[in-house]
Amino acid sequence: MQSFAIFWHKQAVILERALNHLVINSRVNIDALNGKTIGLSLQDLPLDVHFICANNRIFVLSATDKSTDVDIKLKSMIFISLLQGEDLTELLRQDKINIHGDAKTAQLLVDLLKEVDIDLEEMASKHTGDIIANQLGKLTRKFNHIGTQSNNPFKIIKDGLSTLLINPIKSKRYKHKNS
Amino acid sequence: MKNTTHFGFKQVATNDKQSLVRDVFNSVASKYNLMNDVLSFGAHRLWKHYTIASSNVKISDKVLDIAGGTGDLAIEFRKKVGDSGQVILSDINAAMLNEGRKNLTNKGIFGVEFVQLNAQQLPFDSNTFDCVSIAFGLRNVTDKDQALKEIYRILKPGSCLLILEFSTTDSVLLKKFYDFYSFNIMPKLGGIIADNEASYQYLAESIRKHPNQETLKNMVLDAGFDFCEYHNLSGGIVALHKGIKV
Ligand SMILES: C[S@@+](CC[C@H](N)C(=O)[O-])C[C@H]1O[C@@H](n2cnc3c(N)ncnc32)[C@H](O)[C@@H]1O
Repeated sequence: MQSFAIFWHKQAVILERALNHLVINSRVNIDALNGKTIGLSLQDLPLDVHFICANNRIFVLSATDKSTDVDIKLKSMIFISLLQGEDLTELLRQDKINIHGDAKTAQLLVDLLKEVDIDLEEMASKHTGDIIANQLGKLTRKFNHIGTQSNNPFKIIKDGLSTLLINPIKSKRYKHKNS
Repeated sequence: MKNTTHFGFKQVATNDKQSLVRDVFNSVASKYNLMNDVLSFGAHRLWKHYTIASSNVKISDKVLDIAGGTGDLAIEFRKKVGDSGQVILSDINAAMLNEGRKNLTNKGIFGVEFVQLNAQQLPFDSNTFDCVSIAFGLRNVTDKDQALKEIYRILKPGSCLLILEFSTTDSVLLKKFYDFYSFNIMPKLGGIIADNEASYQYLAESIRKHPNQETLKNMVLDAGFDFCEYHNLSGGIVALHKGIKV
């Protein structure tokens, strides 16, 4: 569980970049979320993220004790089904999801996450060390693509190298198996 | 403010620290870039690359780099904000700013503004910037709390502060190596390459006196920031703190 928390911490950076990439390229409109702070926690995983939307950008932070405008609590499998298109209102009605605050805002966040070009479903569904290590490669590849916003091989290599040297756990070359 | 403060491991009059720090950077300015590459084995470029990647800066943004020295961050921010944005490279030290100006010109980077300022008194209106950065600069500032409050003031709501700074590693082995390297090798290299052993001794000492990750995080929150989190780089030898003003 500890390794998942560290793993997620790093992924928050990746997710933030991916979301803002969508905003910059006008693929999503976040006006309706402006000024909102939304907490998302998975009850069966040590995953607790805050999405802060302001100044036409989104910040993704992990593990803060600040209160939020909207708080979403759910199990990882329910999160996955939401991302796969399950109806939020229906899940609410079935008590499978716990929302404090405005459900419309929660829906907007879910819609946004559906657009993101990283595999959140796999990220949330698999949380044993080996699988995480496995996932890192995929995520890093996507991260490189999003992060560089270009096909410049030099930048991709530079990003990969940075990842390896300063955050080895995120690197494609990371071979160590977490326990 | 207290009457005395630390300058490396020495205790000095608070009013004297700024000029002592100025002397250090006056004396290293011309060799600063070379020494950075040598002493960090080039890793400072990767730490800065990670900082830019975490900045959330986009086209048309206004960015202030404080204690910017030779301008490594300003160069990258300039590329991100484009012609419609604004990047200000600032430093308290004229010699360092001059090196910055030369560096940018040599790299063909134009459109960056240069301002000589003290991080403790920022000559800008409130709610002006989308991002403020300070890399390896905060530990040299005499009144860090005051500087953080000033930064908070000039940031727009929905913007962030990035502090890249040496920090504390938890790894016993890494700490041993790092202590040996910074107190025995770094000053010697400073003596050989920059003819300035004392300044690099100060560098090593000032790193040890700098608040650790959690303390700095609390200082950022105390300055008014709504959120702050940090990411350890190279095992915590360096940390990137990100403060968000909502
Ligand atoms: C180690 S250099 C960092 C330069 C550059 N940011 C980098 O990462 O390469 C520290 C810089 O902090 C500047 N500095 C020290 N005290 C300062 C203050 N109170 N306000 C602004 N800059 C300051 C110094 O002049 C020096 O250029």
